[in-house]
Amino acid sequence: MSDPKEKKNENSVNRSEKIGVYVCYCGGNISDHVDVEKVRDAAEKMPGVVVARTNSFMCSDLGQDLITQDLKDGLIDRVVVASCAPSLHESTFRGAITRANGNPYIYDHANIREHVSWIMHGEKATFKAEKLVGAAVGKAGLLEKLDPIQVNSRKHVTVIGGGIAGLKAALSAADFGLNVVLIEKTPFLGGNAAMLDKIAPFGEKASDLISQLAKSVLEHKNITVKTHCRLVGFDGYIGKFDLSVKTVFTDPSDHEQHPGHFVPFEGVETDTVVEEIIETGAVILATGFKSYRPDHGEYGFGKHKEVITLPDLIKQVGKVEGSSTLELDGRKIRSIAMIHCVGSRQIPGIHKEDENGYLNEYCSRTCCSSVLFMANKIREQFPDTNIYDFYRDIRTYGRGQEDLYDKASENRVVFFRFDATESPQVIPSSDSDYPLQVTVKDGLTFNEEIEVPVDLVVLATGMEAGDISDIVSMMKLPVGTDKFLQEVHPKLAPVEMAVSGVFLAGTCQAPMTIGEACNGAAAAAAKAASLLGKGLVELDPYVAEVDTALCDGTGACVDACLADGALAMVDGKALVTPALCLGCGACVAVCPSRAIDLKGWSLKQYEAMVDMIVAE
Amino acid sequence: MESPDKEKKILILATDSCAYPGADSVGQAHSSYPANTYILRVRAPVMFPEQFYLDCFKKGISGIIIMSCGEECPYEGAYKALATRIDAVYQLMKKQDLDIRRLRLTAICTVCNRAFLKEVNLMNDLVQEIGLPEMD
Ligand SMILES: Cc1cc2nc3c(=O)[nH]c(=O)nc-3n(C[C@H](O)[C@H](O)[C@H](O)COP(=O)(O)OP(=O)(O)OC[C@H]3O[C@@H](n4cnc5c(N)ncnc54)[C@H](O)[C@@H]3O)c2cc1C
Ligand code: SF4
Repeated sequence: MSDPKEKKNENSVNRSEKIGVYVCYCGGNISDHVDVEKVRDAAEKMPGVVVARTNSFMCSDLGQDLITQDLKDGLIDRVVVASCAPSLHESTFRGAITRANGNPYIYDHANIREHVSWIMHGEKATFKAEKLVGAAVGKAGLLEKLDPIQVNSRKHVTVIGGGIAGLKAALSAADFGLNVVLIEKTPFLGGNAAMLDKIAPFGEKASDLISQLAKSVLEHKNITVKTHCRLVGFDGYIGKFDLSVKTVFTDPSDHEQHPGHFVPFEGVETDTVVEEIIETGAVILATGFKSYRPDHGEYGFGKHKEVITLPDLIKQVGKVEGSSTLELDGRKIRSIAMIHCVGSRQIPGIHKEDENGYLNEYCSRTCCSSVLFMANKIREQFPDTNIYDFYRDIRTYGRGQEDLYDKASENRVVFFRFDATESPQVIPSSDSDYPLQVTVKDGLTFNEEIEVPVDLVVLATGMEAGDISDIVSMMKLPVGTDKFLQEVHPKLAPVEMAVSGVFLAGTCQAPMTIGEACNGAAAAAAKAASLLGKGLVELDPYVAEVDTALCDGTGACVDACLADGALAMVDGKALVTPALCLGCGACVAVCPSRAIDLKGWSLKQYEAMVDMIVAE
Repeated sequence: MESPDKEKKILILATDSCAYPGADSVGQAHSSYPANTYILRVRAPVMFPEQFYLDCFKKGISGIIIMSCGEECPYEGAYKALATRIDAVYQLMKKQDLDIRRLRLTAICTVCNRAFLKEVNLMNDLVQEIGLPEMD
């Protein structure tokens, strides 16, 4: 580098000579593939590093104590942790530094799990881990202490979706003292749970549960409920989101709408669409799931009227009064086949992909319990109706659920086990007394070929992600390979989304029971409350910064800037307005004298990282 | 293993909001890809001047993949500015007889595992074939 200005720039940087490096074993997740002690040895020899340590779990209290102790002892003034993805634990380690009265921004992270040990093994993995630690050390040496930007936040949360999860989230958030708007696209509150009669495993009435929750929500002084309402625009950032919503009141007279016009025999029409902006501080997504709809012909669905889905069965049986044999649509139902895992746990090469080549490979988690709950209910209420249960595996996990399985055996439900490669066949019955028969190779009787004549076939259809592609693209939300919304981490950040200030509740995240949906909803509300309760949110101070001594006043940065008002020329020098700066660095690339850089992510730091990667 | 000094290194500039979590997602899926890949987390690759890329090649980086958010970029206008810059870098690379395939601009989302693996493998095939960059 021959430019004298660059020399000046380089010289003006104080490289830290007191870097501490902490390498995590991740309980074998890293150390089974990377020689962690070798990485530590290499780190210790890197320029500026004074201490390098290892720990089984750096995120544990013991691991974090290594950092806080070294800081308190004055041994180190910069910190590098080599562990899992920064999205998981960057804030943990910044927190540890803050506890030792350090500045949280003296920290950099090397991702040697997701980017190394989970994709490769052995010597090359160790070599790569060393290089990534080297890059982090290169950057850490140039890190400066920064102060976070504080913005006032609104003590207000918006819940999208008025199913069980949305109702619970709204109520919990309101009880924490936040103002809440709950928006629901349909005219009704309760969501899919409203289609259930009594619910597994304990048999409460779904209608009681929903009515009780909805009553508390509707009566709560902190909650405003907007039905027929959808999100149409999303702007802002954590603490200050502006949501555009549109409420379309359904028009009972099914005609084209012209507000202000006289409609014969009706009157003058009013506006049926209201658009408004909700000013909010956080968003809880509770948009739920949709029930899987079998393909035409799948287990005879659509071909034989006697083949129905589990939600259909629940609805129909819920309306029937007691007698010894179940009667549906005027037909006596003497025997029912219930087939598990329809539209769930699909296997490539075995099940049929949809038109986009997609399969539901996940377990829907609620159908096993729901099937057995219904089987027990029918056997107890209509003892002359026999139930034949065709399953791949029984997954009645959780409190009270396994009892359903035991009880089904007591109730003489007959079980057959099938392999995914040889699903049961539903065909017209050879016995003229029954409309259908189900044939299967039964794994419980050493693959004996079984034929069961039945009056009804019930398909245990599972859950699919709801269609919220509009919200996903508006809010730039991460979606998992299963199409459900994806949390930051399934265990450590289970209701947080990568978009700060946006949380998850219920089955928009994954198939789950009502109890689990309510747990998630309460957790999301608690997260929102702890975030917004103070009325202040701290944002990372990653904004542009001008070295006025180097600034030649060309104004190139102002031209390149992508945010209105973030950069201006004042007295011949560039001046940044931090509150408006996006922190994208578009200005950094164009400054001929390298006078402008991004705090916390500077060009100098990247150059140092590359130098460490190519170093021998 | 290839001796470290001969390793044909690929630098991946991955955006904090899309491609970096995308690379995490590839790791979570335990999909393997070549080890000579070094992923740096960036807020927006628009911050790098033309010279940064040329310097990287000069320092011995064999290939660079910019994994941006593409049109999904959270910074309005940044992707267009980036694309223009990369065109300018290509011109400079040509002047220095550098194979422009060594620099690639892509868009990778948080769950674009297949696209990520494809880009990395393609670049690796290329750098294995054409070797280390030679610059004065
Ligand atoms: C067949 C079957 C049987 C089941 N049996 C049981 C059981 O016995 N016990 C049990 O615990 N669980 C059972 N479950 C699971 C239970 O139904 C779910 O756990 C529960 O309904 C999930 O509630 P939710 O609020 O997450 O989603 P949902 O009930 O799907 O509610 C989502 C709400 O969001 C609204 N919405 C969607 N998109 C938007 C949008 N863009 N804007 C505004 N609003 C929107 C929807 O209209 C809906 O009101 C069963 C599920 C199935 C499929
Ligand atoms: S809960 Fe049972 S029926 Fe439903 S997908 Fe899982 S294993 Fe199959």
